[in-house]
Amino acid sequence: MTYAELAVTTNFTFLRGASHPEEMVSRAAELGLEAVAITDRNSLAGVVRAWSALRELKRTAEEEGATVVIRSSVGVDPSSRQQWQRPETVSAQVLHLPRLIVGSRIVLRDCEAHILAYPMNRDGYARLSRLLTLGKRRADKGGCDLGFADLLENCADLVMVALPMTAPEDARMLGQLTQLARAAPGQLYFGAAPRYDGTDAAHLAGCARAAQACSAPMVALNDVLMHHASRRQMADVLTCLREGLVIDRIGQHALLNAERRLKSPEDMARIFAAYPAALRRTTEVAGRCAFDLSELSYEYPDEIADGETPQARLARLVEQGLRRRYPAGIAERTRMMVTKELQLVEKLGFAAYFLTVHDIVEFARSQGILCQGRGSAANSILCYALGVTEVGPEVITMVFERFVSEQRGEPPDIDVDFEHERREEVIQHIYEKYGRHRAGLCATVIHFRSRAAIREVGKVMGLSEDLIGALAGQASGWSRSGLDPERVRELGLDPNDRRLALTLRLIGEITGFPRHLSQHVGGFIITRGRLDELCPIENAAMEGRTVIEWDKDDIDALGILKVDVLSLGMLTCIRKSFDLIAGQGGPRYTLENLPREDARTYDMLCAADAIGVFQVESRAQLNFLPRMQPRQFYDLVIEVAIVRPGPIQGGMVHPYIRRRQGQEPVMLPSEDLRNVLGKTLGVPLFQEQAMQIAIVAAGFSPGEADRLRRSLATFKRMGTISTFRDRFVGGMLSRGYTPDFAERCFSQIEGFGEYGFPESHAASFALLVYASAWLKRHHPAAFGCALLNSQPMGFYAPAQIVRDMRDHGIEIRPVCVNMSDWDNTLERRPDGQLAVRLGFRQVKGLRQEDAQWISAARGNGYASVESLWRRAGVPPVALEKLAQADAFADLRLRRRDALWQVKALRAPKPLPLFSDLSQEEGIIEPDVNLPAMTLGEEVVDDYLSLRLSLRAHPMELLRPHIPNLLAHERLTTAPLGRTSVCGLVITRQRPGTASGVIFLTLEDETGTSNVVVWPKVYEQFRRAVIGGRLVRINGYIQREGQVVHVIAQEVEDLSWMLSRLSDPEGPQKPETWQSGPPAPRARHPREQAKRLFPSRDFH
Amino acid sequence: MSREILSVWFLRLASQRALRRRSVAGPFAVVGRNRGSEQVTCLSMAASRAGLQAGMALADARAMCPDLTTVPADPRGDARFLRMLARWAGRYCPWVGLEGEDGLVLDITGSSHLMGGPEALMADLRQRLMRAGFTVRLGVAPTRGAAWALAHYDEGIALGDQVRARLWPLPVGALRLEDDVIEGLARLGVRKVADLAALPRATVGRRFGQQPLVRLDQALGGQPESITPVAERERPAARLTLAEPIGRTDDVMEGVRHLLAQLCPQLEESGEGARTLLLTLRRVDLRDASVELRLARPMRKPEDIAPLFAKGVDEIDAGYGIDQMRLEATVAEALPPEQVTAHSVPGDIARAGALADLMTRLGGRLGLENVLRWQPAESHIPERAFSTAAAAWSEPAAVWPDVPRARPVLIFAPEAVGWSGARAVPRRFRWRRMDLHLLEAEGPERIAPEWWLDDPAWRSGLRDYWRVQTREGWRLWMFHTPQDPAWYVQGLF
Repeated sequence: MTYAELAVTTNFTFLRGASHPEEMVSRAAELGLEAVAITDRNSLAGVVRAWSALRELKRTAEEEGATVVIRSSVGVDPSSRQQWQRPETVSAQVLHLPRLIVGSRIVLRDCEAHILAYPMNRDGYARLSRLLTLGKRRADKGGCDLGFADLLENCADLVMVALPMTAPEDARMLGQLTQLARAAPGQLYFGAAPRYDGTDAAHLAGCARAAQACSAPMVALNDVLMHHASRRQMADVLTCLREGLVIDRIGQHALLNAERRLKSPEDMARIFAAYPAALRRTTEVAGRCAFDLSELSYEYPDEIADGETPQARLARLVEQGLRRRYPAGIAERTRMMVTKELQLVEKLGFAAYFLTVHDIVEFARSQGILCQGRGSAANSILCYALGVTEVGPEVITMVFERFVSEQRGEPPDIDVDFEHERREEVIQHIYEKYGRHRAGLCATVIHFRSRAAIREVGKVMGLSEDLIGALAGQASGWSRSGLDPERVRELGLDPNDRRLALTLRLIGEITGFPRHLSQHVGGFIITRGRLDELCPIENAAMEGRTVIEWDKDDIDALGILKVDVLSLGMLTCIRKSFDLIAGQGGPRYTLENLPREDARTYDMLCAADAIGVFQVESRAQLNFLPRMQPRQFYDLVIEVAIVRPGPIQGGMVHPYIRRRQGQEPVMLPSEDLRNVLGKTLGVPLFQEQAMQIAIVAAGFSPGEADRLRRSLATFKRMGTISTFRDRFVGGMLSRGYTPDFAERCFSQIEGFGEYGFPESHAASFALLVYASAWLKRHHPAAFGCALLNSQPMGFYAPAQIVRDMRDHGIEIRPVCVNMSDWDNTLERRPDGQLAVRLGFRQVKGLRQEDAQWISAARGNGYASVESLWRRAGVPPVALEKLAQADAFADLRLRRRDALWQVKALRAPKPLPLFSDLSQEEGIIEPDVNLPAMTLGEEVVDDYLSLRLSLRAHPMELLRPHIPNLLAHERLTTAPLGRTSVCGLVITRQRPGTASGVIFLTLEDETGTSNVVVWPKVYEQFRRAVIGGRLVRINGYIQREGQVVHVIAQEVEDLSWMLSRLSDPEGPQKPETWQSGPPAPRARHPREQAKRLFPSRDFH
Repeated sequence: MSREILSVWFLRLASQRALRRRSVAGPFAVVGRNRGSEQVTCLSMAASRAGLQAGMALADARAMCPDLTTVPADPRGDARFLRMLARWAGRYCPWVGLEGEDGLVLDITGSSHLMGGPEALMADLRQRLMRAGFTVRLGVAPTRGAAWALAHYDEGIALGDQVRARLWPLPVGALRLEDDVIEGLARLGVRKVADLAALPRATVGRRFGQQPLVRLDQALGGQPESITPVAERERPAARLTLAEPIGRTDDVMEGVRHLLAQLCPQLEESGEGARTLLLTLRRVDLRDASVELRLARPMRKPEDIAPLFAKGVDEIDAGYGIDQMRLEATVAEALPPEQVTAHSVPGDIARAGALADLMTRLGGRLGLENVLRWQPAESHIPERAFSTAAAAWSEPAAVWPDVPRARPVLIFAPEAVGWSGARAVPRRFRWRRMDLHLLEAEGPERIAPEWWLDDPAWRSGLRDYWRVQTREGWRLWMFHTPQDPAWYVQGLF
């Protein structure tokens, strides 16, 4: 008995289908179906998943013989199947795997039948894809608008099954189907799906008559919505989400029963006992659809060639590049590597891909946009020669071919970072050059993650907002495992309560379900032929963007190349620094001609003076720098890669540091690994090294090692350390490694599963670390100024950047209507030093356009508020912002006096009649004596409008009121033991790798301090730790080399003092809360003071 | 004599009202929605002490105070409650107005001495409210503005010349200014009322508009500000005193008609109709007899209402006679005058009225809540595809949704037929002590239980329903439970 299911809706028909495509395929294999067609509503989004799952099944079957154990959740992709916990495993003996039929369920706006369309061949596929693109481009994001006429025009090479959604003998529908059958002779079938509503006999008979009438043979279907009956609940929940219902009010929207599941051939035979031909025809239809996704022959565009073959052109460009890179002559070894790489590229046919990347980079260069490539293939000599990266081959130990392996048949991966403010130009260039029909962004599938799942499912199940909030609160940090009954019990809830238990189970089940498609940050697919024949294209939410339906995993699985066009703030900053230096008469630097290996730059980094420097400015990195003592470029590569979850989790950080500091001898686990681990002192730090260990030490084949990396995340979620671990550790033990080393290597690979940092990435980043550090060391004013002009980016707020500049002796000048531009600028001082003039961009709420008018109409300067208003024509609101920023000081107007004058301007624009200043009508006003501001008030107002103050640090004003404090600068010299420090909280962090420890960074007028809060202390002082803006820490000092920590024992929230900062009477503790809050209605700037000093919390 | 205005500020009205109904140990807050996000809007003392602040996002509040208990805000309930408090405050003076959403203002001029002066009045008020669970701040001054300022910023009494001295050091917020005006003034260093008063008036007006000046004048008494007392609504009622006691039903009914003739115009004036009427009859022995009439719809036509009283009046024991009658509409609902248009068919209105009158008459005997009406309900489960509701308080369903599948005319609780065979419908079975033979069966319709409910009747799992025609003529609705094999009859076609 054979049967092929021809109508399967997966959960890529968002909020409708109740099973993953992978589940459908494995269930179909279990049931022994002949074939299974994935037909999502107006979409091909799920087919690649199903295809990969089937391929994986096939591979397992081949490797392990005819009898396979199938897990219902097999073939799961690590990056998109997060939080999937399905411990149940179903075993079945499979002799035959189903064939996958690619298809789509086309829902037409003017037809009562849904048309299931399956391409017969590549042409049919192209046609289907184009048809869907047509509908999607017409509709808004996520929609599809197709009419019957569109289908009629595009039905060649498609096998179609019409599935009536109304009475089968509806006259209008039959008319349309007859028309369709005539347009596509022999290609149309009439689908009959049982409805299990008591009228099936009549319904099927009606279908048979209708099939006769429009001469479309009847074919049996089950219109599958789920792979297993247990998903009926999920289907109902999805219906509620779609319709905005609560489950108790779902009513007739609910599924009547769970019969729309994949059924065995026997079950289907029983239902269609009266129509054996319809049943047999399923295999016939399946047989006609010969198209397989592997046929999608994909070609990279190569029109850049000009009659020259891509390979020849690549060779020529590389040769040119090499001559430019090595004017003194090319080393023999390099020459050999180039030849080898070129051969490999030729063999795999990737030349056009490299050329395309080169073209994009060339374009960016020509526009003066700074860019840099990274990614596994980016660190080849080819890319170095082409100018895609600046990391020379001498730096990198890993060999190119390991990442572009013949065997894996996978495309190389090059990501290119561009300046974040100008990336859009590059994107538009790509659209322009290749056309929208050939270039598109790939999609990102947005999945239900636990927090969203809790919220949405909780709402559907009618849980109270409070309860949902509490559950969602618990999920933070445990997002991977869904919701643990233990944690639920901790909330004081009974996990055995029926409703709650149901809800929790559904939440677990729905996490990992796709929710909708979104656009990928910058992954471009560019094709030689029409892109819409490769995959349907739809409109993105963003104006002027189009997105293909597949995400990057699908693209990978099909072997399609993509270029990642990403944005990086630091590149903007570096380019702006270069411009500023050149603008001040300095040399014209580029990433290429920066002086290399500058000792003074390394000196600076060794002293952890790295605020603003790319990547190494975080608290953890600042702590690590003095221990690491980087002295050469490769040290920076390690520095970037080592403070990451992978190495930390694998316990590799401390051994490395001990070896580096000479406290421990460098021991290689074996001679075999010298090549792999030599450069990192015998400690594996990079992703490639871990994979190499698997190959060299544990005896994995390269393909297996790669599969290990890809599937690791899944294993962890399944909660089972599977066969891979045994094989890995066993393999290493049998080759004579210590169990301890083997275990550590494996746990590091586990860590890499998600946060892998390959050497090539690290090297590209390290280059930017060096460049930014060099700029900071040699051109601190220009660098700081560029950093401020590139905000928001990096780890620190402008206040900290400005403060760091001042610590380095750079004069910072205040915002001034007569001197500032929109951007921060450099000004030459009489002594030849550079000073930074704050720009209007620092003023909160000021529009760029207004600022530009002010600088444009400035002439020889403004004499009064009134003249500025008249000449620049900016609205009084903008002037008010400037007055509040104290930008009129140059006109001898104090902040309040300027504000008083601005407030008097009520009209949005000066009237032309009075524009002549000499004829000013002038209202004579009595003099007003506004109270003078105290220093505290000035500081608060500075923070209010600029988020920073050049006058004084709040702590300086508050210190007299807080007894027994140690200034932060004295932490390095004070005797160890108990101490008390106080400061503004600038960052709060709770790294996932630090088991609940919270790190606070405090700032006072002398410097910053790092505070460690252990979980116990946190529990006790929760409120102060989370909510405090100004806190006092009582604790003790801990010093290790240059690194100083304050271990908190008591945390006191002194934020109320900030609110009294500007009070002339000085800070006083607020009265006790016994009699209620003191007049909460008075929303006074002083009350806002708490919000003035924001910190970066738990990002 | 200068005026005395008392301003009362309930600083935790919403939370304390909620706590009055259900006391909660530990921090407690009322949560409202503001632009899509949830915020704590009113905190209990314990919550304030835990460092929470009104206006905080609920998520933040929870992070700081994990054991926070919350209830959703009910601004309409709060407003109703405040009106109630205003009525209660009538014990101190007749002139009570509302002050915003959480305050009252009392004109106690001339009535404070009854309580022994304003201090004693304040103490009494505070104590009574405290006993009821409310914290208040109080201020007494000659103007409403000044009293408000004192209540919110500096509790106490300021009369006569003291007003300026008391107001001057208060922040400008005490003048009931808009937030952005307060902020603007503060930025200029104008923080206290005194600072504002010292500025030349014209310059302030040019920059901040007239509001600050008006408010300042109102506080100082330079500009009058009235208090609008909360209007007390009276129930429509009519009474009749008789010269001679009466005892005959007809006489009483004549009295009722007389009373209705007085009452109904009152209802008409306020655009209302009576829903419940209370007729109180005073007998000569000073005992009361009463008749309550509950109507199925709001009514105000005397000739329609009078007959409905007949049954109630008939049952009254008149004793030695009745000499006073009083009729009151205890519950009244809005009844706008009906527009008679060319399209309206007089019969329709009359028919709807006739049904309502029938319900009223039935309700008079059975109790109005026992007169029920069918309502459609949405469910696949046959037993739950309809519901019942009290007819007088529900509207008939406009349309009954189409049931896509055939349903029997009569549904009853499943009755087992003593056959547990497999899939096929039994050829012979016994139901209600009859031997029946299968002629034809159509189906199955498979209905799965509603998984989100735990209905005991559906514990046996999913059901396959069949329409069964028996040779004996019965057309039955039968089902089979494959997960717990048995056959049942549940309905008749």
